[in-house]
Amino acid sequence: MPETFEIEVNNLNFYYSGTVHALKKINLTIRKNAITALIGPSGCGKTTLLRCFNRMHDLYPKNLYEGEILFQGINILTPDTDLINLRSRIGMVFQKPTPFPMSVFDNVAYGLKLKGMKKRAELSENVEKALHHAALWDEVKDKLHSSAYDLSGGQQQRLVIARALAVNPEVLLFDEPTSALDPISTAKIEELSQTLKNDVTIIIVTHNMQQAARISDWTGFLMLGELIEFDSTQKMFTSPSIKLTEDYITGRFG
Amino acid sequence: MNVVLKRKIEGMVAISLSTLAALFGLFWLVFILGDVLYNGISALNLDLFLNDPAPAGVDGGGLRNAFAGQLLITLFATLIGVPIGVLGGTFLAEYARGKGISKVIGVLSDIMVSVPSIVIGTFVYAILVRPLGHFNGWAGSIALAIIMIPVVLRTTEDMLSMVPWTLREAAFALGAPYYKVIIQVVYRGAASGILTGIILSIARVAGETAPLLFTSFNNAYFSVNMNQPVSSLTVTIFQYAMGPYDSWHTQAWAAAFVITVFVLILTIAGRLIIKWRYK
Ligand SMILES: Nc1ncnc2c1ncn2[C@@H]1O[C@H](COP(=O)(O)OP(=O)(O)O)[C@@H](O)[C@H]1O
Ligand SMILES: [Mg+2]
Repeated sequence: MPETFEIEVNNLNFYYSGTVHALKKINLTIRKNAITALIGPSGCGKTTLLRCFNRMHDLYPKNLYEGEILFQGINILTPDTDLINLRSRIGMVFQKPTPFPMSVFDNVAYGLKLKGMKKRAELSENVEKALHHAALWDEVKDKLHSSAYDLSGGQQQRLVIARALAVNPEVLLFDEPTSALDPISTAKIEELSQTLKNDVTIIIVTHNMQQAARISDWTGFLMLGELIEFDSTQKMFTSPSIKLTEDYITGRFG
Repeated sequence: MNVVLKRKIEGMVAISLSTLAALFGLFWLVFILGDVLYNGISALNLDLFLNDPAPAGVDGGGLRNAFAGQLLITLFATLIGVPIGVLGGTFLAEYARGKGISKVIGVLSDIMVSVPSIVIGTFVYAILVRPLGHFNGWAGSIALAIIMIPVVLRTTEDMLSMVPWTLREAAFALGAPYYKVIIQVVYRGAASGILTGIILSIARVAGETAPLLFTSFNNAYFSVNMNQPVSSLTVTIFQYAMGPYDSWHTQAWAAAFVITVFVLILTIAGRLIIKWRYK
């Protein structure tokens, strides 16, 4: 019986402004309820690849995709894809925390309200659930109505995760979510990622190889826009089949 | 050694000259403000706000008509100018960001800011007073609105551009359409800055005389009919200060005092909001 994948990337090419060839013939598969890490030297296309999954590149003119990305079997690169729906099923967390200029509660409720939820009780219930889910509830339960900017950087990042979780996404995209955080906040988010994968599929970009080794189940190594190797994290970090991967992982360059 | 000494002397000269220039400017500012305060406070009384003008040359009476008219004209100018300015600024900063048209409109609007207000007054006179055959309040409000628009537009554009782009991306990533991203996230992030721009633009037009002289003109009677001439403090000050009667001069001082304090309060409020927001 063939294994079913949450996401399948087939021969994906991506061009910034229609000219800068940033991703070259990428093929990979993302397993459901697993954490897939994308590693590689900076500028190799990790962010670019991540932002294909929620079609973030569509915000800017002339960006061009080729090939296909099957999300639960359906190609999301077709022009008729409903991006609003896609983005509510595939959430994203950025490198720097991006709380909105509103209260903690309103931040988490934002996506729910977008989906048309209006009843206060229902909103409260879901906000609380999401904050619990993101391991933030205990720290903010007494300041739900103060500004999100009053939280620490690490708390803001978990708030943003709660905001993404509130709408029950199937996939979460993380773009170096801990690179702006201190070690303790980083550890909290890494720990959180392990509990989250029971409910969502996670794709995480990181330039920190130890992080990839610690938290991911699958790892893809990119260089100059090409996917050099993709395998289980275990295999990638112990016996990679390609010399370039080994050189990178052992720190010989990058 | 000589070079060092020379530089020191040059530095001293530069500092002295700029200090002198600053003091010169400050002297006149304090002088004018002091004069207005001194003459204005002594001319203030309750009648000024409760009564309409007495017949020319007769003592007593007040400027109720001018206070009411000034508020009315400024209010409608704000209602017309602020939405256009804010929406225009939004267009430039969001929908036309980085496009040629955004730069063209930006430059045009900067030129508009420096157009003498009397030119705007005569322009509105030509399109809204002459064809109708009489001065009217709407023309006054529109002239003031035209002065406000570029100010509000530019501050809105600047404030929106200061909201980090990643904040918009975060909202898009949750599946928000662009107009909701702007209204619910970007405006919130820029609210105090935009509000400051609006307040300062009101302060800017509240003291205008020339554009009103050609449009709403003046009305010796209390009138809130915007289709007719409407009195304003600034035009009244102009008329009374030029007039032959002492009672007019006194009342002009009082009106000058009130409008100066009003503009001062608005300006200070605008600055305070900036300080409080970006501390
Ligand atoms: N908006 C853009 N326009 C053109 N080229 C870009 C843009 N963003 C990134 N690139 C280029 O695409 C390549 C991959 O960038 P990126 O995906 O950000 O790398 P990474 O996240 O792995 O550090 C780099 O060479 C970068 O210069
Ligand atoms: Mg990156």
